[in-house]
Amino acid sequence: MDLNQLWTILSTADNVPIVLLLLVVPFYTWYGLRQSFANDRLIAQLEGNPEMAKTHHRKTQPWRPEWAREVHVWPYLLRIEFLAAIILTIILTVWSIVLNAPLEEPANPTLTMNPSKAPWYFLGLQEMLVYFDPWMSGVVMPSLIIIGLMVIPYIDTNPLGNGYYTFKQRKWAILTFIFGFIVLWVSMIVIGTLIRGPGWMWFWPGTTWDHNRLIFEVNRDLPDIFGIHGMWPKFIFGAVVVGAYCVAAAIGLHKLITRTAFNRKIYARMSVLQYTVMQIFLVTMLSLPVKILIRLLFRIKYVLVSPWFNI
Amino acid sequence: MSDQEKDPVVHSSLSKPLMISSALLVLTLAWGLWDEMYGIRPWKGYQARFVKAYSRYLKTAAGGEAEVEKQIRASSEYRRLDGEMNVAEKAATPAASAIDKKINQELVPNILALNDPFQEVRSHIGSLTYQIEVSHSESSKESLRKEILGLRAEKHDVALPGEPQKRSMDFKAMSDQLQAWKDEKAKLLQQRVDLMKQATELRTQRDKYLSDRIAEASTSTIGAVQNSLDKFDIRIRQIHVKDVDLVDRCESCHLGTREPVAITKAAMGGEQVFSSHPNKELLKLHDPEKFGCTPCHGGNGAALSSVEKSHGYNKFWLWPLHHKENIEAGCQQCHAKEAVTEMADTLNAGREIFRLRGCMGCHRYEAFDREADEISSVNQQIRTLTQQKAEWKREAGFDEQKANSPKTSDDEAKRLLAHSNDLKVRASGIDAKIEQLDMRSRSLIREVKKIGPSLKEARVKLKKEWIPVWLKDPHQWRPGTKMPTFRLDDGEIRAISAFVWQSGVKADLPVQKQGDAARGQEAFETRGCMACHSMGEGTGKQGGTFSANLSREGEKANYDYLVRWVHNPRQRSAPYCTFEKKDLTAADYQAKGLPYVFDLEHSKCPNDGHELQVQQMTPMPSLRLTEDEARDIATYLMTRKHDNQTYAAADYMDDANLKNQGLALVRNYGCAGCHEISGLEEEQRIGTELTKEGSKPIERLDFALLGHKAEAEEWYTHKGFFEHKLENPAVYDTGKEKAKQDRLKMPNFNLSKPEIDAVTTFLTGSVDASVPARYFYNPTDARQDIIDGWWVIRKYNCMGCHKVHVGQSTTFDGMTKYQDPDWKDQRPPTLIGEGSRVNPEWLMRFLNNPALSETDTNRDGVRQYLKARMPTFSFSDGEIRKLVRFFEALSSQAQPFIPEKLEPLSETERTMARNLFTSEGAPCLKCHMTGDAKHDSKATAPNFTVARERLKPGWTKRWMLDPALMSPGTAMPSGLFRMENGHNVFTGPTPPSFNGYNKDHADLLVRYMFQFTPEELGRLRSSAGAK
Repeated sequence: MDLNQLWTILSTADNVPIVLLLLVVPFYTWYGLRQSFANDRLIAQLEGNPEMAKTHHRKTQPWRPEWAREVHVWPYLLRIEFLAAIILTIILTVWSIVLNAPLEEPANPTLTMNPSKAPWYFLGLQEMLVYFDPWMSGVVMPSLIIIGLMVIPYIDTNPLGNGYYTFKQRKWAILTFIFGFIVLWVSMIVIGTLIRGPGWMWFWPGTTWDHNRLIFEVNRDLPDIFGIHGMWPKFIFGAVVVGAYCVAAAIGLHKLITRTAFNRKIYARMSVLQYTVMQIFLVTMLSLPVKILIRLLFRIKYVLVSPWFNI
Repeated sequence: MSDQEKDPVVHSSLSKPLMISSALLVLTLAWGLWDEMYGIRPWKGYQARFVKAYSRYLKTAAGGEAEVEKQIRASSEYRRLDGEMNVAEKAATPAASAIDKKINQELVPNILALNDPFQEVRSHIGSLTYQIEVSHSESSKESLRKEILGLRAEKHDVALPGEPQKRSMDFKAMSDQLQAWKDEKAKLLQQRVDLMKQATELRTQRDKYLSDRIAEASTSTIGAVQNSLDKFDIRIRQIHVKDVDLVDRCESCHLGTREPVAITKAAMGGEQVFSSHPNKELLKLHDPEKFGCTPCHGGNGAALSSVEKSHGYNKFWLWPLHHKENIEAGCQQCHAKEAVTEMADTLNAGREIFRLRGCMGCHRYEAFDREADEISSVNQQIRTLTQQKAEWKREAGFDEQKANSPKTSDDEAKRLLAHSNDLKVRASGIDAKIEQLDMRSRSLIREVKKIGPSLKEARVKLKKEWIPVWLKDPHQWRPGTKMPTFRLDDGEIRAISAFVWQSGVKADLPVQKQGDAARGQEAFETRGCMACHSMGEGTGKQGGTFSANLSREGEKANYDYLVRWVHNPRQRSAPYCTFEKKDLTAADYQAKGLPYVFDLEHSKCPNDGHELQVQQMTPMPSLRLTEDEARDIATYLMTRKHDNQTYAAADYMDDANLKNQGLALVRNYGCAGCHEISGLEEEQRIGTELTKEGSKPIERLDFALLGHKAEAEEWYTHKGFFEHKLENPAVYDTGKEKAKQDRLKMPNFNLSKPEIDAVTTFLTGSVDASVPARYFYNPTDARQDIIDGWWVIRKYNCMGCHKVHVGQSTTFDGMTKYQDPDWKDQRPPTLIGEGSRVNPEWLMRFLNNPALSETDTNRDGVRQYLKARMPTFSFSDGEIRKLVRFFEALSSQAQPFIPEKLEPLSETERTMARNLFTSEGAPCLKCHMTGDAKHDSKATAPNFTVARERLKPGWTKRWMLDPALMSPGTAMPSGLFRMENGHNVFTGPTPPSFNGYNKDHADLLVRYMFQFTPEELGRLRSSAGAK
């Protein structure tokens, strides 16, 4: 256990946001979900008691019957936001006094630093480069992420859950978000920061980042494992496998979506275009962990190999 | 509704959290402000402390020197100067104050009053003139011109202080009046200066009198410093050299660096940071205003936020401050081409080790081992020039062809023929160049030396059984030897020994008879061998460190070879042809019908006419010993051995199979870097180039498995890398799994800590300079000769015998024998001022042949009384040229040398001088040699007959007037002359013929000596003998 190394990584000024991220993201996820569940219980209570629902619509917890149904933004919201702003200012000021900007030596074009890392918010993208063709992970995927985020309001046909925390009424959206943001994006940033060492090799936290480390690792393309040669056969084989994944993933996701009655209702409100677009993004998102797994577990580099791009 | 049941969103009060966080915010802002003012500006604290500590020190310092100063002020001379100054000042004062009054009360107020209205009109005119210049239409120009005329003519009422009425003036009147007043003011000021001139001069004289007599700062200086301290403002102090983009703020904390009062650490209450620069002379040469601080010292000159950052000790700064023990590393980047840099002893020691211990055998370093580089460059130049010549000839041919063609016009043909002639002339000029280069190339073969002995001679030189023992651990066998310890296993030792033994040249040496060891010891200890060689072990060691310690020579060497070596170390067993790349044998000569003779006069290859390597590549010179003397010394050396030392038989050394194995190993370990080895004469260096090693990115220095350890122990730096590598060259193999041949090859030199520091200094200084090339020390004048000369001086260890520059000591100064008063005069002469002393043409001759005779070589040409002898180095022409220019340049002599013309001596003068030479008062001939063998055996000074050829008259006169000044401790007496009526007069009783002679006596003697002949010496001798 190389505690010195661990401390060096954790205390680097660059990595302070990541360390904070490690603590803050789970806390707020838990905190938000707790509020959601409390609200869900209230909603259940209101739904079970139509009399009460007539007079009490406030879906926040804690709640008492004699409290006002709604409160004004000013002053009740803004005063809290103002307090939050003050506290945040204090935190940022102290941070900027205590930690200086990590300026490094003048750039030397003949010398690349090792490990050479992107700024922390791009480390997820850099980590994706390990698993995909650079063209895929550098151009296609980032574009899809941005477009996917833009598309959300247009495919979200669920009218509930505005202005209050709820899990029950937005289960699908919340789970998808948790999967895409926390499981994929945040964990890839954490991996990129804390685990990838010299040579972008995998170092478990607490091990020494040794520049002399050598590892034996052979990655093969899927067609090679099956002994397929030639450009076109490889391409066709890959396309078939990728196609099969898409179909299987789409069917699986469809099953998941239509499992509950509530979701079936939402599904029924969606147009074909909305549903197709959602499926495309979900299948693509799911391909990321699938690819990570087959890479790490089976040492498979690419599934579809072509002279122009690889998947 | 109870309190608990109230809606917390509406009813809870946020005043407490708001209060607390607002208070925190205010505190944070205060912290931020403090940090901005002081936290990230620690230099402010330094400056405040400096002012306090310095003022305190100045108070005590003022007391310390005040007593002395008071005495000086009370001295009659000071009082006289002071009084005269006061009188002069008083005399001048009334007139001066009248002038002051006129200037201050009349002229200045008038000028000020008139200036404003004048400036107003002038600037208005100026702006209108500009409009004329940029206006495009003639009409508007015209109207503007009219406007200006109007302005010029306009009258202004000006109130002048001295006049009750306002004066009405136009522009010209104002201008004239103003100029008149200004002229008058200037004239009056000049008058005032003239009036005060005498007083000012006396004041300067008085102050100089004081400052000349106080070593430390005088009270007035201290007062001035104290004054400026009182007005001290806390601000960043920076040196900005604009054209280099250099910003050094070091003096924001190191405030005492350039103070006129010398400040020590103790004086400042133990704060080293405030002390003055320890070497004022160095600062004078490298004015900080021009050089800054960081180009020499390293560090981050612009950084002020913390000591660590400004010293560049954070990970990301590439040029950290040099540590104290390596402080001279900063010199190297600009003084990269030098062997010796004044005032940088550690660095010089590092360079010396790098050269002498053979580092340069494996590692290329620009400027080191320049002979080898020069050979290739000279050969390249010859090729280029030959090509150029052929090209011009061809072009000339074409031109002629074209000119002869009937189609060419007459004019064109004339032009072509002229051009063709020009080319031919230029081509013939190239021949001269090639000839020079050819000569240079030939002499370069002589100049190339190797650090170690030639292994070609191993077979004839060494005892066979000794070789494996030596290879095992040279340092154990001979502590301090240049040969480093390689990490060889027994198999490797066997193979290498076998290779060395079998690759050696087989030659039959004449069998020598035994000499006399006692005489040999005497000769060894007095002839000068010990200037380079040491003898004795442990504390009994005496002699120089330039070459081997010979205490165990008898155990390893072959007597017959040793005799030859002592007699002439350069003699080879077989010549080597650089063209055929082989050692020639007698058969090669026989085939051409030539005798098997090779030396500097017979250095052409019989097969192809190329220059041969006819000398051993050793710097060891010939002492021109007789064969008998050589035998004596060799016999003495053969007695130098440990008792009962036995060596195991090594028959495997004749095993032919081992030879090839050995060759591979010898190649692998780079032995040919230091030794001449058969078949490996053209080997390349095996190590990495080190010219810019100090600025190699740290990532490229292979710390191997020690990287993390180095970081944890804080030696992950260039300095740390070098130090650990030098201490244990195998250190970076620690823990590595490597095949034997892949392991680090660098051998262990067993360097001491100071030696490691010196080499580290040299290497950390070897950087890609951070300053522009014009900061490099590349003088184009005589100073370049000094740089070049040092390389030769160091190469042949001239400093083992001679003092070449002030402050240096020789091996003789350290030897017990030469501490004895009887032996003190036996030390070789000092060469300080040699350039001004001797005639360069004579020096050239002398260096070529120090015996100054072709026949009588068993002697020293100048100081025949010296037992230690100037050896024959067989310098190449190039080296002699460098040496002569070096000495001339050191003494600032003009090049080329033109001898001074002396007034011819009249016959009476000659007689007078002769009388003086032999008089009782001037027993010159008591010490100076006369050529009489009996007398010369006791003489301790050179013969006058050589003086004419050898010396320069100017120096000779200076020497006679005060020899002790030039060479403290010399036997030549000082005070021989005294000044009388502006010329030198002999102090002792002068012969009667001098009565009435009113010329300079010293001049007379010089002229006599420079017109001295052997016949005159005879007359002198006989007249001296007559007395």
